[in-house]
Amino acid sequence: MTTPILSNATARAIFYQALTVLGVVLLFWYTITNTVENMSQRGMSAGFDFLDVSAGFGIGFKLIDYREGDSYLRVFEVGIANTLLVAVIGIALATVIGLVVGLARLSGNWLISTIARWYIEMLRNTPLLLQIIAWYFGVFNLLPRPRDSVEWGGLFFLNNRGFYLPSPEPGQGFGLTLIALAAGIAAAFVVRAHARQRLFETGKLPRVIPAMIALVILPALLVFALTGQPLAWNVPVLRGFNFQGGTSVPPSFCALIIALSIYTSCFIAEIIRSGIQSVSHGQTEAARALGVKPSRTMRYIILPQAMRVIIPPLISQYLNLTKNSSLAIAIGFPDLVSVWMNTSLNQSGRAIPIVAMTMGFYCAVSLAVSLVMNRYNRRAMLSER
Amino acid sequence: MSDALIFQPKAGKPAPPSTLGVVGWVRGNLVSSLPNAALTLLGAYIVYAFFSAVIGWAIVDAVWEAQNRRECLDLVGRAGACWPGVKAWIPNLIYGLYPKDQVWRINAGFLVLVLWAVPLFLPWVRSKVMIGLGLVLLYPLLASYFFHGGDKGLVWGALIALGLTGFLWSWLTAIAEARREAPLLEGRRRWILLAGLYAVSLLVVSQWVLDEVQTRLWGGLFLTLVISGFGITVSLPAGILLALGRRSRMPLIAAVSTTFIELFRSVPLITVLFMFNTMLPLFLPAGVEVNRLLRAIVAVCLFSSAYMAEIVRGGLQAIPKGQYEAAAAVGLGFWQSTSLIVLPQALRIMIPSIVGSFIGLFKDTTLVSIIGLFDLLSMARAVGEDTVWLGLFIEPFFFVTMIYFVFCFSMSQYSFHLEARLGAGQRR
Amino acid sequence: MFRYSLAAIAAAAAMLVAPIDASAQQTLAQVKARGSLNCQVGLPTPGFYALSAAGVWSGMDVDMCRAVAAAIFDDPAKVQYQSVTSAVRFTALANGESDMLSRTTTWTAVRDTQLGLEFAGVNFYDGQGFLVSKASGITSARGLDGATICVLTGTTTELNLADYFRANRMTFTPVTNENVNVLVETYLGGGCDAYTNDKSSLAARRSAFPSPNDYVILPETISKEPLGPVVRHGDNNWGDIVRWVLFGMIEAEEMGVSSANVTEMLASPSPGIRRLLGNEGNIGEGMGLPKDFMVRVLRHLGNYGEVYERNVGVNTAVGIPRAGSLNALWNNGGILYPMPFR
Repeated sequence: MTTPILSNATARAIFYQALTVLGVVLLFWYTITNTVENMSQRGMSAGFDFLDVSAGFGIGFKLIDYREGDSYLRVFEVGIANTLLVAVIGIALATVIGLVVGLARLSGNWLISTIARWYIEMLRNTPLLLQIIAWYFGVFNLLPRPRDSVEWGGLFFLNNRGFYLPSPEPGQGFGLTLIALAAGIAAAFVVRAHARQRLFETGKLPRVIPAMIALVILPALLVFALTGQPLAWNVPVLRGFNFQGGTSVPPSFCALIIALSIYTSCFIAEIIRSGIQSVSHGQTEAARALGVKPSRTMRYIILPQAMRVIIPPLISQYLNLTKNSSLAIAIGFPDLVSVWMNTSLNQSGRAIPIVAMTMGFYCAVSLAVSLVMNRYNRRAMLSER
Repeated sequence: MSDALIFQPKAGKPAPPSTLGVVGWVRGNLVSSLPNAALTLLGAYIVYAFFSAVIGWAIVDAVWEAQNRRECLDLVGRAGACWPGVKAWIPNLIYGLYPKDQVWRINAGFLVLVLWAVPLFLPWVRSKVMIGLGLVLLYPLLASYFFHGGDKGLVWGALIALGLTGFLWSWLTAIAEARREAPLLEGRRRWILLAGLYAVSLLVVSQWVLDEVQTRLWGGLFLTLVISGFGITVSLPAGILLALGRRSRMPLIAAVSTTFIELFRSVPLITVLFMFNTMLPLFLPAGVEVNRLLRAIVAVCLFSSAYMAEIVRGGLQAIPKGQYEAAAAVGLGFWQSTSLIVLPQALRIMIPSIVGSFIGLFKDTTLVSIIGLFDLLSMARAVGEDTVWLGLFIEPFFFVTMIYFVFCFSMSQYSFHLEARLGAGQRR
Repeated sequence: MFRYSLAAIAAAAAMLVAPIDASAQQTLAQVKARGSLNCQVGLPTPGFYALSAAGVWSGMDVDMCRAVAAAIFDDPAKVQYQSVTSAVRFTALANGESDMLSRTTTWTAVRDTQLGLEFAGVNFYDGQGFLVSKASGITSARGLDGATICVLTGTTTELNLADYFRANRMTFTPVTNENVNVLVETYLGGGCDAYTNDKSSLAARRSAFPSPNDYVILPETISKEPLGPVVRHGDNNWGDIVRWVLFGMIEAEEMGVSSANVTEMLASPSPGIRRLLGNEGNIGEGMGLPKDFMVRVLRHLGNYGEVYERNVGVNTAVGIPRAGSLNALWNNGGILYPMPFR
């Protein structure tokens, strides 16, 4: 085969691409025809009609309202809300712990850096599934029963049924307080931007933090008082078997959040450590030579440069945490996979639509995050020279 | 010449006693400042509290000899571990339901693996790449018969013989290179030698008969290793292809690769496993049965390939453009420049991430328990459902966690070692 | 590379175009051709599908699989057990992976009519109950208002629990899991006020508690749980085989035929026994089985009573008394009523 057409790069490119597309199309065609035939033959239904049917089972923890008689669609929504809640709280906690451990790893204190190293080594080398179970049984199931709850000021209670805290019940006009709060925060940001401007122009950093705090708190407090304190607190009270009222999170939630954030924090710590170490030492030395204080060197010289290395893997860890929350099934926290792909699938038997909807949700989340990330990457790349 | 002009340095003063010895180290590293000392105390307390609780339960208060769980409960209640149940189940935890009189085959199979890998660690062996490739590509053929056995048929028999040939060739090479008899293995003589080895292997394999052990009996640590082994072996080449596809200048190929990678990276492994487990039989024509284990392996491979592809892409991006251009300038084609110039450099950079991904894959195999394969975790769960050990739940999980830790920890330590050794040439 | 890819397409195209035999074979023929029965059980559970440290499956539902294999092959060992989580049990049957499902599955209308399944009968009548500690002072399920309850997810148990509390205008907080041991461990640690499951399971689990006598099973039975083997919809003959092997075992107990005396009974003059053992009529042949398929089943497994006592009877660890329960024969105070074998 030495004809010119075969050694022509364009022709080959077209050929390979046609080949790929043909392969993909054939694969899809083959799969779909087989599935349709198999399903009709076995009397399986792929439709989404079951979504309106009443689900009929209880869910132990729900962020949004749900009753046993509600539809499967509602269960799906409850699952999504729970998964997102776990993801958001988990990400926040993991970042904080990761930052602390990452810095501890770089600490001059031998014991601290050694503990940090072993913390990372031990936790990232055991399966997360087992860690979740360990937290659940090793800690939260060993807490005292409701009658002997650990309590803080009669407001917060911790026992082996969960963590109970007062829930706010906003009254008429509480919205105004929120608006004042938002305005205060915006004003604080303006002040901060102004202070930064001053810093870069004159090299002096004005003390603005007290002003910022005052800006956030005072207007909100004032509006709150003027509108007649329209906020009541629903405090949990021990009644019957357990605490009633307030908000609560079950032990499975606590175990899941802690396991997820601690596990992910190991990876985040390593990312932060390598990010900081990736900034050339010359930068620190140059800053010192110019007389920049060590704390400001970190804040204004090292971290901004390290962030560029840190952010992309950090985001993929955030996505991992979201995906790993599906392991909640092991301790029965009703996240999307547990309540939808396990319980609902089991009760309704509709495998295909349910699995498709589950995967669709995770895809959508990742896609959204990737879009944002790509934009950030482009910006970070541009500022590089 | 006067002695007075020669510079006589004064003897250095000894370091202050406070910075020397144990005391100095402690002062410098533990209690250099007050907050530092507080941190030290806190750290020491956390470590103490954690380990004393675990050791108390797992060793001090534990029961080591008992006939059933009732005896354990009567002795210590739930305050101490009940190890006899785990002990009774250890064969299952390691080999699954594999027939007890056939277990030697698993051991033998892994022994071959170790023996095959030995030349890779011998300093005088030069053909490490070839031996390594042979190991990765041909060992599964040989292992398949060790583990599965049964009726070989013509094609499978020929493939098994290929595996055996690879094993023998690796060792012959290692021995020859030890004795510096390299010419023996060059040119036409190498092909004659290989043909001879293959003939011998065919003869051996044709006489070699093992009973069939169906995959549904595979389980425990053995199954975990098989699944992750497959995942690791397949994901690297597949990941390289996908990464090259994604960076390709042909838009359609790039689009297909990107879609594949992003799709599998965006969903949890558990959903992929679930889909392959329940849906694959629906995707195939009626009457075609795909082994449950195979379905799990396919799912794990696809999933890990997508992750590997992104790691490889990162490595490829780190190679300076000049390398590509230089390769093109000396007339190398795409495949040549990729395999001879770019990949070897990229792979070196990627080693830590690759090992990290292998560790992740190994840990992720715990998920196959959810689709009902008897991996290490499912076996641990089965202990508590045995009527004799009913309810024994925490102990087997603890045991399994330890096994995972040992494996993953050694892998990560090896990766540090490798990184340090490969990086040695790069350091200035 | 280019040439190889051309060859690869040709091969792939050939594979795709190759005619595929899409006609659904009859299950019995498939099983015979394969030489073994693919029988789906659940993750190990005492009494019904238990796995011992020696790696041997046993239990009520396992014996159901073995009985069908004995009827077909005269060898109860020709079973491939598929241990599948409950989440994928129906798909694993519907997609053709399992030939039958024998794993304490409750017969419900939705499952029977909407999931492409066919229930072949009932081999155990169960009912859902609650387990509480004596110290809690609860004596009735009505006292559980506001309680936290541990429940197995993905089962009818979960639905019955919600129904019961809704019907009685009570509230509860479920703690769910798909692993019984996790629930039991949670319960013992005080993570829930009561543990609910089928009563057969409650008794067995309680026996493995640190101090079993500190716990009671509440008197209420809040649901009907007819558990039985299931086959795929559409192959009626296969459903008949499973159904009549089950009925045959109950009928044998009713007639007093057991594994011990089946050989003598072959000579029995009683027409009922003669029909059961294949000396009269052609019941077996009508289903594609040999005439004496019940002789095989009885010789290897025994009748229903023997299977019951061996796996869940009072002398086993599970220890569920049969006399006076629903699972006694219909002429003995129970509701086990085999359709006439004629």
